[in-house]
Amino acid sequence: MSNVVQLPRWIDVGVLPLLNLLLALVVSALLVLAIGENPVEVVEILLYGAFGYDEAWGYTLYYTTNFVFTGLSFAVAFHCGLFNIGAEGQAYVGGLGVTLAALYLDFLPFPLMLVVGMMAAAIFGAAWAYIPAYLQARRGSHIVITTIMFNFIASSLMVYLLVNVLRPQGSMTPESEQIAEHLRLPFIHDMAAAFGIDMASSPLNLSFVYAIAASILVWMFIWHTRWGYAIRTVGANAVAATYGGIDPGRYIIIAMMISGALASFMALNEVMGVQHRLLIDFTAGYGFVGIAVALMGRNHPFGIFLAALLFGMLYQGGAELSFEIPTISNDMVVVIQGLVILFTGAMEHMFRPRVTKIYTAWRLRRDRMEAA
Amino acid sequence: MENFELVILLLDATLRTSTPLILAALAGMFSERSGTINLALEGMMLGGAFAAAAVAYYAGSPWVGLLAAIAATIALSLLHGFACITHKGNQVVSGMAINILMSGFTALVGIALFAQGGKTPALDKASRFQPITLPGAEAVRDVPILGPIYFELLSGHNILVYIAFFAVPAAWWVMYRTRFGLRLRAVGENPGAVDTAGISVVLMRYRAVVCSGVLVGMSGAYLSTAQGASFLQDMTAGKGYIALAAMVFGKWRPFPALFACLLFGFLDAAATRLQGVILPGIGEVPVQLVQALPYVLTVILLAGFIGRATPPKALGRAYVKER
Amino acid sequence: MQRKPLLGAIAVLSAFLPGIIATSSPSFADETIKPAVVYSTGGKFDGAFNQSAFTGAEKFKTDTGIDYREFELRNDTQSQQAIRTFARDGHDPVVVIGFQQASALAEVAPEFPETRFAIVDMVVDQPNVQSVVFREHEGSFIVGMLAAMASNSNTIGAVGGMDIPLIRRMTCGYQLGAHYAKPDANVLVNFVGTTGAAWNDPIRGGELTKTQIGKGADVVLQLAGGTGIGVLQAASDAKILGIGSDANQNGLHPGQVLTSMVKHVDVAVYEAFKAARDGNWQPGIKSLGLAEGGIDWALDENNRDLMTDDMEVAAKKAKADIISGKITIHDYMIDNTCPN
Repeated sequence: MSNVVQLPRWIDVGVLPLLNLLLALVVSALLVLAIGENPVEVVEILLYGAFGYDEAWGYTLYYTTNFVFTGLSFAVAFHCGLFNIGAEGQAYVGGLGVTLAALYLDFLPFPLMLVVGMMAAAIFGAAWAYIPAYLQARRGSHIVITTIMFNFIASSLMVYLLVNVLRPQGSMTPESEQIAEHLRLPFIHDMAAAFGIDMASSPLNLSFVYAIAASILVWMFIWHTRWGYAIRTVGANAVAATYGGIDPGRYIIIAMMISGALASFMALNEVMGVQHRLLIDFTAGYGFVGIAVALMGRNHPFGIFLAALLFGMLYQGGAELSFEIPTISNDMVVVIQGLVILFTGAMEHMFRPRVTKIYTAWRLRRDRMEAA
Repeated sequence: MENFELVILLLDATLRTSTPLILAALAGMFSERSGTINLALEGMMLGGAFAAAAVAYYAGSPWVGLLAAIAATIALSLLHGFACITHKGNQVVSGMAINILMSGFTALVGIALFAQGGKTPALDKASRFQPITLPGAEAVRDVPILGPIYFELLSGHNILVYIAFFAVPAAWWVMYRTRFGLRLRAVGENPGAVDTAGISVVLMRYRAVVCSGVLVGMSGAYLSTAQGASFLQDMTAGKGYIALAAMVFGKWRPFPALFACLLFGFLDAAATRLQGVILPGIGEVPVQLVQALPYVLTVILLAGFIGRATPPKALGRAYVKER
Repeated sequence: MQRKPLLGAIAVLSAFLPGIIATSSPSFADETIKPAVVYSTGGKFDGAFNQSAFTGAEKFKTDTGIDYREFELRNDTQSQQAIRTFARDGHDPVVVIGFQQASALAEVAPEFPETRFAIVDMVVDQPNVQSVVFREHEGSFIVGMLAAMASNSNTIGAVGGMDIPLIRRMTCGYQLGAHYAKPDANVLVNFVGTTGAAWNDPIRGGELTKTQIGKGADVVLQLAGGTGIGVLQAASDAKILGIGSDANQNGLHPGQVLTSMVKHVDVAVYEAFKAARDGNWQPGIKSLGLAEGGIDWALDENNRDLMTDDMEVAAKKAKADIISGKITIHDYMIDNTCPN
């Protein structure tokens, strides 16, 4: 701790996360061995399932889309020094916004609906994030606890609405009505077909493009705007920010609302893009994956995209895995996810002293050789 | 008279549903009073439930299962401590990691061992904690008022229910009347001062998370080998988080936490029984509202609208020795 | 609702991608079918509904030597991908279990017009889907009679899983049957929840059972899929009688389960596979009740001693009367009400 050596960036954002990821994968491989399966075979099936055929790519990128949004959501709050564990609830409520807009404004033409749907998702998600944010900023309530509570409250609220309000008459499944066909996001394979390109059908849709755009926007926002600067300042040291004339509470609320809005864009992919209706638990834990994705990606949009791709691959490959090897279910992917959060998040400092030692030794030798 | 019986039945159910919450809330309290946030209660409870059911199935004894559950949750506590105390990792992240890890791990191992979709096989009578009839319960059964209270409400629970309620005064005593408890609270409030007094902050915090592991292990075993008869994937269903909320609601103190657990347990028991029931004059009760109440109440409390919940001062911060 | 034909064409094309062989056309007998089953969220070892489907698939495998593939849903959102993956990989027929999968199947079925699908417990109106539905109220009527006759306290209970018309139809039949046998019988009904989670929550099922027992019930019927295990466990723990449903659950706690309302999902699955192999598979609605042998009540060595002669005679007579039409049982799903 005492002699802080500044590691070069490529070690900090490249080598260390990779080492931690590697450790997570090694532990997972040992687990596969313990179960009595061959890890090499598992990796083969995973990779085949994720990239082995046209359609697999589509599925991988479809999952990636969700993880980009939830990863960005976590990262924006994190830059402000906040742990937003509530992406799950914010996306869920955002889904309500999209669904209501699509069901009640179904007379709108698609381009307009695209904007309205996005705004509806963003407003609902941001509103759901606003309450914990306000309580943190103005009343000092611990945001981790409040966002967890808000996940559960969202879950109860949505069950109530789906069962009692949104469920069509005569239906037994608690899900909303289908949204009108002309309001759905176009599938990428349909868009490609319009240009005469033949692609396998998959749930990959326009929201993937939006995920890439959102990544760029978040990058610009965090590093190239005054608000972004203020958010990072508050995140680095709230007390110092106050002396610099920045009101931390204000930026806590702003960061959380943007975070909630980003999480809710996942609903565009799921509701407008793929399921075409509001389902119970459609968020399916993707909000929590966002934590792993952001931590692995070092809270940088580019890193988040790569990490999201990795998890997209694991999710799609994992689905293939549970079809192929019955003894290994897609819970394997959940385990890997947990290990990645553990090693790259909670134990991120584990390798640092050792790597620092190796690095300084190497630099010393190089310096000596240059001197000689 | 009929209403009286209904109330007794509901309170009886409250005791059963609040038992795992009480054990887990006390577990959270030990960890957090020493300065380590424990969001991992959910995952640890799940791990304990799995270990208890799996081992009790092989061993044919709930006690062996209970020991296995405690061993498993102590191991998880040490992992949490290793990340947060030794490596000074982020405590929230470590907790989330353990929750997610255990959700997948228990199902994965369950499928590998039993091939029943992540469940463990149903346990027979000998492998589960059985209800205990308190002395004289049968005799006073028909005495009005007191009879039902003693027979229905107090008697006829399994040993873990009684342990949970006994654990509350015990935890209070340890926390406020022993030197261990004093030091534990001190490392959560002012670790620097404790360090200056020559006591190892790290060791103290490790001992606290181990206490936490023992208690949460029992709550897991209760779910799968006392209240239920097997392990099911994600069977905790948020009970760890409710316990956490109860601990916050109880302001990190044993007796208030007990009352919070009883309140939340009562709401759960009531919600279960109100499902699809149409009450005269009220109509159908929105059960989801009742189910959301514990979380809503906790948020209101945290917001400082009904009293103030002040966490331990050093909560969430790894201790760094000053040089 | 209808997808563009282009979509289907692409989907069929994709089935010919490397490593994947598409098989079978639905028109003629085929010895080499590749059947598949998608279980609902309770999982194939729920000891009830899904397990019954599993039994049927296993029986087909032993009888014909034709292997099948299966998938257990973790949540309802997986349904669509599971069905589509099987269809894309050339599996045919694909049998999906449970009403929760209906909308997913309605979405996928038109994409694979050459694949034969079957769904249990719900109607999906597509030219390549066979919908198998059961007249459960006929069976619950009979077990309701038996429950009322076996009860000493004259109070009996039923614990339903998800609060939906499908289950209300069964509790309604149960009430009608109980009152048919004993007009003054007191019938308690509770439901576990309103979402799919209600099928997989034995602890809550046990809690409700304990309350019903506390209110005096000494026979409790479970209508809750995987949750029902907890109902029967609680009944057995309290030394009263449980009644199983879906599968024959008499053997779970011998001597503590009065009878089971058997719903032959196994037969439905077996028949769908067999018809596909023999080339006489038909789309459309198949309604199974007592008359077709799709619904029945179970009597075996585990509950022989619990059943008095009176009860057995009464149940057999009621069964014959229902089949002949002498007794008609109100179907809750027609008007969403239960007379009483």
